[in-house]
Amino acid sequence: MVSVKEDNNVKNILIKSGKIVDPIKRTESVSDIYIKNGIISEIREKIDITGDNIVVINADGYTVSPGFVDMHAHLREPGFEDEETIESGTLAAIKGGITSVACMPNTSPAIDNQSAVRYILEKSKNMACNVFPVAAMTAGCKGINITEIGLLAEAGAIAFSDDGNSVKDSKLMYEIMRYSRQFGIPLILHEEDSSISKSGLVHEGHYSTILGLEGISSLSDDLMIARDIILAARSKARIHITHLSTKNSVKMIKRAKEEGVNITCDVTPHHLFFNDSCLTTFNTSFKVKPPIRSEEDRMALIEGIKGGVIDAIASDHAPHLDTEKNTTFKLASFGTIGLETLFSAAFTKLCIEEKISLPVLINLISASPAAILGIDAGKIEAGKVASITIIDTGAEEVIKKESFISKSKNSAFIGQKLKGKIVCTVSKGKLAYRDKCIKERSIS
Amino acid sequence: MAEKAYILNRDEIDRIIKRISHEILERNKGSENLVFIGLQKRGVPLAKRIAENIEKFEGTKIKTGKLDITFYRDDIGQNIKPIAQTTDIPFEIEDKNVILVDDVLYTGRTIRAAMDALIDFGRPKTIQLVVLIDRGHRELPIRADYVGKNLPTSRDESVDVRLQETDGEDSVVVIRKE
Amino acid sequence: MLRKKSIIDTGSLSLEDIDLIFANADSFLEVSERDVKKVPALRGKTIVNLFFEPSTRTRTSFEIAAKRLSADIINFSSSTSSVKKGESVIDTLKTILSMKVDLIVMRHSDSGAVKMAEQFVNVPVINAGDGKHQHPTQALLDLYTIKKIFNKLEGLKVAIIGDFINSRVAKSDIDLFERMGIDVTVVSPAMLLPEDFSRMKVKHSIDDVIEESDIIYVLRMQFERQNRKFYPSIMEYNRFLSLNKDRLLRMKPGSIVMHPGPVNRGIEITDEVMDISGEPGERITIEQQVTNGVAIRMAVLYLILS
Repeated sequence: MVSVKEDNNVKNILIKSGKIVDPIKRTESVSDIYIKNGIISEIREKIDITGDNIVVINADGYTVSPGFVDMHAHLREPGFEDEETIESGTLAAIKGGITSVACMPNTSPAIDNQSAVRYILEKSKNMACNVFPVAAMTAGCKGINITEIGLLAEAGAIAFSDDGNSVKDSKLMYEIMRYSRQFGIPLILHEEDSSISKSGLVHEGHYSTILGLEGISSLSDDLMIARDIILAARSKARIHITHLSTKNSVKMIKRAKEEGVNITCDVTPHHLFFNDSCLTTFNTSFKVKPPIRSEEDRMALIEGIKGGVIDAIASDHAPHLDTEKNTTFKLASFGTIGLETLFSAAFTKLCIEEKISLPVLINLISASPAAILGIDAGKIEAGKVASITIIDTGAEEVIKKESFISKSKNSAFIGQKLKGKIVCTVSKGKLAYRDKCIKERSIS
Repeated sequence: MAEKAYILNRDEIDRIIKRISHEILERNKGSENLVFIGLQKRGVPLAKRIAENIEKFEGTKIKTGKLDITFYRDDIGQNIKPIAQTTDIPFEIEDKNVILVDDVLYTGRTIRAAMDALIDFGRPKTIQLVVLIDRGHRELPIRADYVGKNLPTSRDESVDVRLQETDGEDSVVVIRKE
Repeated sequence: MLRKKSIIDTGSLSLEDIDLIFANADSFLEVSERDVKKVPALRGKTIVNLFFEPSTRTRTSFEIAAKRLSADIINFSSSTSSVKKGESVIDTLKTILSMKVDLIVMRHSDSGAVKMAEQFVNVPVINAGDGKHQHPTQALLDLYTIKKIFNKLEGLKVAIIGDFINSRVAKSDIDLFERMGIDVTVVSPAMLLPEDFSRMKVKHSIDDVIEESDIIYVLRMQFERQNRKFYPSIMEYNRFLSLNKDRLLRMKPGSIVMHPGPVNRGIEITDEVMDISGEPGERITIEQQVTNGVAIRMAVLYLILS
C-alpha cells in the first residue's frame, strides 16, 4: 500500500498564502494559518514564525478548505475486512481531503449494539481521520426489531440508519421516527421500495430496455420517500434522505422543507456525474444503488443543489473486491468507491461544468453535513483541532485504478478526467497527507 | 508508371477459341459426354463461347456450369476479398469428361482448388483444362490440356484478360508494374 | 472481412458488413444444396460453442455451419445454475483459451455476459444470445429471409408481436430493421413493454396490425418464466396477441409470418395455423428462417476467420 501516513513528530504547521474558504459565509480570502500542537492558534495575513519542528507549507495559489465531512461511507469493518478496514478507509479518506467520516452500520455483525459502536470508536482512535459510527435502526438492519437507540446514542452513534435497506413495515418506521425524536438524533434513510426494485439492476428506462438489464423504476425511491415524508411530518422526527437519485425526490423534499418537515438530504458525486448512458459498456463499476438514472434525473439533482434543496454531497463509498465486480452485470455487487474522488468528481461537474461557486460545493462537503450530523467540524477557527484540506483547483488528472489507496478499486470514475486535486490534508491536528507536489514546496 | 503491351485483340481471341473448340472435339472424339465448367469469373464466358462453338459444329446442346473456388483456396487469411461468386452446376458430372475453363494459368493453385471443388460434386471420368493464357511460374504439378497462347512473363508483370461479357471488350494486355 | 472481428450486437455491424454477409450467405445457401455439403474454407480452425444457457437450435445451427466450412467445432455447455459466480465464466474462458481455439460462439443468460467475455479474450467472439440483450445472428438471418422473399427492405411494414421487454430477438431485429428503412410496430401489452415506450410505435392488439403488415413477426411467450407472471393468462393472450387461423387468413397477399423458434403451440401461434396447408401455410417462413440461419452463420464464421 502507498504510504500516506505522515511523520507524526511534526508538532507545528504553518500554511502560507492559501486562499481560505469559509463555507458558511461563502467567502474566500488569502491568509496564513498557524497550527500549534495540533490546534489552530492563529489565522491572519503574514504569519512569520521560524523555529524547530515547524513545517511550512507554501499554499500560494491553492485553496484552503475546512477538512471535508463525508456523511455516508462503508468502511466494511467488522466483517468484510478483505474489502476495506477502518485503517485503509481512513487513509483513503484523507487522500480525498476528508477528515470526518460517518460509517454505515451494515457490517457483519451489524453495528446494532453498544459494543459494536464502541468497537468502531476504539478502532478509529488512532486512525488518520475522525470516524463517526452510524448505528442500525433495527437489529441487523433487518427491519424487524428496533435497536436500543438511546443506549447506542450514549455509546457514541451520531445517527441511525438501515442503509442498504428501507424499513418496509410502515408502523415500525413510524415508531422509530417517534422514538428517535426523543433523542434529537437524525435518521439517515436509504429509500427503496423492494417490491418495486426487486431483482432490478439499473435505472428502468431506455438503456435498461436496449441493454436487456432489469430495471429499477424511479418509483422505488419515490414511493418510499413519499411515505417517509408523511411519517416525518406526523412524527416531527429529523430525517435525512441519503443518495437521492430521482427528479421527483428533489421535488418532494423541496415541498416538504417548505411545509416545515425536519428533512435534509444528500446526493453522491456519481449520481451527479453520470447518466444511464454509461451502462452501454456493461461496466459493472456503474452498478450502484440507487441506480444511476436518466439525464433528466441528473439535471434535477444539479438543480436541487443550485436551488439549495440538497444539503450535502456524500460518497456512499462502497468497496467491493474485484471478484465481486469482475463478473456479469447481474451477478456483480452494487456500489462504487468514492472517498478519494469525492471532491474532484463533484468539483468537475458542479464548479467547472455547472459554474457553481467553490464555497457552495465546499459547504456541501463540510459545514453542512457537519451540521446535519451535529459534529464539530467543517470550520477553520482558532482554538480548534486543525482539520484542513488544501486543494489545487487547477490540477487535472485521469483517474487510474492503481492510484487508489482504498483496499478495493471498484471506482466508477476510473478513466475519467477529473479536475481539482487534494494536495494536503491536516487531520486531527496532524499533517496526515501531502501530495509530492506540495512536499517539494514545503520547508521543514 | 505502368507499362502495357497488347498481346491479343478480339479477332485473335476469337480464332483461339475456335481452334481450341476443334481440339477438344478432336481429342474427345466428338461432343458426347462433354460438359463445360467455367471458373469465376472470366472462365465462365470463355466456357460459354467454346460450348457455343461446339454446339454450332456438332448441332447438339452442350451443358455449361459455373464454379467459384473461393472456399477452396489455400490462401485463407491472406485473401483480402473473400466475397464468393455464384457456383452453378445444374447437371451431374459423374463419369463425364469435364472441360474446366479459365482465363490465365499461373501458379496452378486456382486449378488445384477447382479440382478439389469439382470432386465434391461427383467423380468425373476426366478433367481437362482449357486456358486462354499460360504465363508460366507453376508452383504445383499442373498443366493445361488446351492453351490459347503461351506467354512467358516475369512475376512482377500482370496479365489482364478482358472479355466482352465481363469487361465490355475483348483483349489481353500485359502490364509491367514499376 | 468484417469491420469488427467480434459480433456482440447488431449495432456494431455496418451496412457494408451486412451486405458482405448476405453476399456470402447466397453462396453458402448453394453449398448447402449440394450432395457434398462441405467446403474446406476453414479447415484447421477450431471453434467453440460455449453455451451457458441451454439451446438446441442455435447451437446446432452454428455447429452445422462450422462443419460445412470444415472447421472443428467443440460444444461446451455449462448450465448457469452450476455457475454460481460469473467469475467462473472467466475461468471457463481461460480453460478454453489455453486449448488454442480460433473463435468462440457464446450464449449466456445474463445480459452483457458475452461483451464481458469478449473484453477478456483475444479471439473473436460471436454472441449467440445474451440474456435479454442481443442475438445478432438471429437478426441477420431474419433480415436476410425478408430480403430473399421481398427482394427489398425499405418501406416494408413489420409488426413484432408479444413479449418485447424480455426478448433479445426483438431488440436485435428492431435495430437492424429500422436501419434498413423497415417500418416497425411493436404489438405488446403494457407489462411486457418498458415503462416509457414513447420512442417506439406501439399497438396492443394483433388485430390492429394484421391486415396492413407485410411481416408478422411472432415472438416466443413463456408463461412459466417468473417475470411474465404479470400477464393474466393464456386465454387473455389468445384474445389479443396470438396468431390464429382467422387472423392468418386476414393477412394481406404476399405477407409472411416469422418466428425465431421454437414455437409454443397454442400460445403465440395456434395448432391450426402451424399445421395449415396450401397457400396460407406458405406464408409461414419458419423453416426458411432455419435454412437461412445456417447460411448466415456460415457467412459470419467464414468472414471472421478468413
